[in-house]
Amino acid sequence: MGGVIWTVFRKEARDNARDRRTLLRVFLLGPLLGPVIFAGVMGAVINTAVGSAEKPLVLPVAGAEGAPNLVAYLRAHNTEIKSAPADPEAAVRSGKADAVLVVPKGFGKSLGAGEPAEIDVVLDAANQAADKTVRRLKALLDGYGSRLASLRLLARGINPLAIRPLAVVDRDVSTPQARGASLLGMVPYFCLFAVLMGGFYLAIDTTAGERERGSLEPLLGTATSRGALMLGKLGATALFSLISLIIAVIAFGISVPSLPVEQLGMQVIFGPMQVLWVFVICLPFVFLGSALLTVVAAFSRSFKEAQAWLSVVVIVPVIPLIFTAVHPVHPQAWMMLVPSLSQDLLITAVMKGAPLNAGFLALSAGSTLIVAAALAAYATKLYRREALVV
Amino acid sequence: MIEVEGVGKRFKEVVAVDSVSFNAADGRITGLLGENGAGKSTTLRMIATILRADRGTVRIDGVDVNRDAPAARARLGVLPHAHGLYARLTGRENIRYYGELNGLSGAALEHRIESLAARLDIGDFIDRRTEGFSHGQKMKIALARALIHDPKNVVLDEPTNGLDVMATRALRDVIRGLRAEGRCVLFSSHVMQEVAALCDDIRIIHNGRLVASGTPDALREQTGEADLEEAFVKAIANAGSSTWAA
Repeated sequence: MGGVIWTVFRKEARDNARDRRTLLRVFLLGPLLGPVIFAGVMGAVINTAVGSAEKPLVLPVAGAEGAPNLVAYLRAHNTEIKSAPADPEAAVRSGKADAVLVVPKGFGKSLGAGEPAEIDVVLDAANQAADKTVRRLKALLDGYGSRLASLRLLARGINPLAIRPLAVVDRDVSTPQARGASLLGMVPYFCLFAVLMGGFYLAIDTTAGERERGSLEPLLGTATSRGALMLGKLGATALFSLISLIIAVIAFGISVPSLPVEQLGMQVIFGPMQVLWVFVICLPFVFLGSALLTVVAAFSRSFKEAQAWLSVVVIVPVIPLIFTAVHPVHPQAWMMLVPSLSQDLLITAVMKGAPLNAGFLALSAGSTLIVAAALAAYATKLYRREALVV
Repeated sequence: MIEVEGVGKRFKEVVAVDSVSFNAADGRITGLLGENGAGKSTTLRMIATILRADRGTVRIDGVDVNRDAPAARARLGVLPHAHGLYARLTGRENIRYYGELNGLSGAALEHRIESLAARLDIGDFIDRRTEGFSHGQKMKIALARALIHDPKNVVLDEPTNGLDVMATRALRDVIRGLRAEGRCVLFSSHVMQEVAALCDDIRIIHNGRLVASGTPDALREQTGEADLEEAFVKAIANAGSSTWAA
């Protein structure tokens, strides 16, 4: 039995290593897609975030001559004042301006009288791109308002601090690394995705593909047990998944540290240790993924059908990811019993720099391997069906 | 020795094989003859344990396929309808794979491959990948693969389909050689000339039932037809259920 498994494993590995399409998938598409997209998108996001904070706020102001002090305050706070368009509302609606500040006629008079002086911010709440400008503008107006309030109190001989009974201080206990981990939310999925993509073509080729090419029938006619044949093929699928995973984690180990996250007050530590831990956490999933792919491929009637099914199956590990994104959870023991959710949570913990919970790791590996064994047993059953051939 | 005893097989509502009994003796070439869809391939697949008979049984050298399928398969070499070679492997790698699956290894296996290569005259292309092979070359590699474990019984499903004249003649010589070594050779065909040229025994299947059995001479005698093809037509017409054939 062992000899047969080894023979089949070697043959399938060699056969598929000669297939360029499979190799492209295993060594490039599956494992590198994640790290490359990740580095590209995150790099762009960080650069725009950093860049826009330093840029002066470009602000069209209508009736600027009615509020010289305010304009001076804004200028002093990195704002570039422009003359307002003829129709501020139309300009904002069309997106030509993010926001326009309109100083009404009676502004100065109301201020002098000590009444609340109306000042209008023309904005488009549906325009998300303008959101940042609007928030910056409002913060500046608030700042100007409280400065005026303090001056008024001082003029009446009252300490401005009297109207600040509370001094709320944020004491953030998060480490820069934990804050950085929130940026790395996609890393667990891409690792599991790499595992599934690595074995994808091999699982189809060794089962549905063999049937379609007519080589499965003579193979089943040899003096071997179908269970042993299945295990050899499963092993070869696992090998390619494993290679894909290794490439993916190494690629992340290179691309993640290259992100300029310090500029956001964050820090990511994704060195060799983290790469190793992510690999160890994902390792049991290699077997689960291969067994799952084998079951679906053995169940399908043709190459195309298997391909269609497996394209759906590779989305399965994203489900826990959506769950944890919508409803963030603290890792608990029962969650370690759910494959892919447990890998997701453990990898996230590693990226936050938290010490790895050995019990959790064992639970995750154990439950994942049990599910893998159950799927492999089911695959054996499928291999014993006549429908596998005819 | 292959003994088929009352085997039947249905796929959902369709009865592929109703009830078929026959045997194929050692040192003889037995031809399984029938029209397309008569149940030949299904019967051969049950012998090869690819399909499991709904009823009846098959014994290979006395080993019941229902009791010990791997042991039965070990005594059987099968050349299926589709050759099913691995295109990205060389001919030698294809043959070696089946040798290893059948428990051979090392020098014994390599020696066996060499002797088959000489016998089937495949030395010129055995080390090339099979994707560019001609039909005849593929058939020879598949045959070497089926014979790698030196099986006492050889089953060939329509082996001459698509072969040119020279390849067909070469195959006939190989089949006769297998008989000379005392093996039991069972092959299916729907080509009368093929069967007439080769077979010691003929089994005619029609609509999933065995309708005639015997040596070519015995069949001619039974049907009173001197020409084997006429004998075949008469045999399936006498079976009744398919009157259009008459």
